[in-house]
Amino acid sequence: MSELGTRRPIERQVERRVGPVTRTQIVRFAGAGGDFNPMHHDEEFARSAGQTTVFAMGQLSAAMLARLAADWLGAGALRSLSVRFTAKVWPGDVLVLRGTVAGQELVGGERRVAATLEAIRQTDEIVARGIVTAASDIAVPEAIG
Amino acid sequence: MADRDLIGIEIDHVEFPVEAGKIREFAVAVGDPDPIYLSVEAAQAAGHPAIPAPPTFSVVAGHWRDQSAMVARLGLELGRIVVGEVQWEYHAPVYGGDRLSGTRIVRDVTERAGRRGGTMTMITVETELRNQRGELAVRQRDLIIETGVVS
Repeated sequence: MSELGTRRPIERQVERRVGPVTRTQIVRFAGAGGDFNPMHHDEEFARSAGQTTVFAMGQLSAAMLARLAADWLGAGALRSLSVRFTAKVWPGDVLVLRGTVAGQELVGGERRVAATLEAIRQTDEIVARGIVTAASDIAVPEAIG
Repeated sequence: MADRDLIGIEIDHVEFPVEAGKIREFAVAVGDPDPIYLSVEAAQAAGHPAIPAPPTFSVVAGHWRDQSAMVARLGLELGRIVVGEVQWEYHAPVYGGDRLSGTRIVRDVTERAGRRGGTMTMITVETELRNQRGELAVRQRDLIIETGVVS
């Protein structure tokens, strides 16, 4: 595995504000990823299914959290990522993305850092939660124990 | 409703070319893209041999497969499906120009009472994506939930 981006200090917590999410962004992500479920771009379809309007695919939240993690821990250093979708993201939503170091582990002789990820809407509702692990040569003293 | 006999079945297979243009489109859609996803020069300046794929890019390969056929194969009702969780394990870096292939396999099937009534079915499907050299690059697991029918 590549060790790119692992030889630098890691901040204990990072936070970034993104958005507002727009219909154009949702459509752009649909085209980029290939998810053409009409629930995400067809207003009439979404309403007929009982939604107030279209909403973003969970994978958009996952990609945003992954982007934060890659910038923070190093794009080539990531070893695993899991993201759970807990609420919908609507057009107009502004999200706070947050990563927090949770601990360190040694896996097969490689030192890894584990961190929690959250995406939070302006209503304080958590829309996605994740866990990321990344190779790291740097000790994060505050996180030990 | 799905049953545990599904565990181990192969749903479908994908051959997926990782294209630099598609990586760019994906990174731009996510917003404020890192230049390493936009130009070979920026990628190489950051130490990558080519434009790297963003961490969740393997989901694009999912949409190269017939998602409705998968739902039908699993005996689920499309209108009640949500993806609850996705997991990625990174084993080898993926770059523009690579060719990934993998088979989607059912790993687990469980049921539980839904919060709003009915029975909720949870199916874990896994795809091991290997590159053109046969190396395991990414293992992706999706937790597919069929929500219960309220009677």
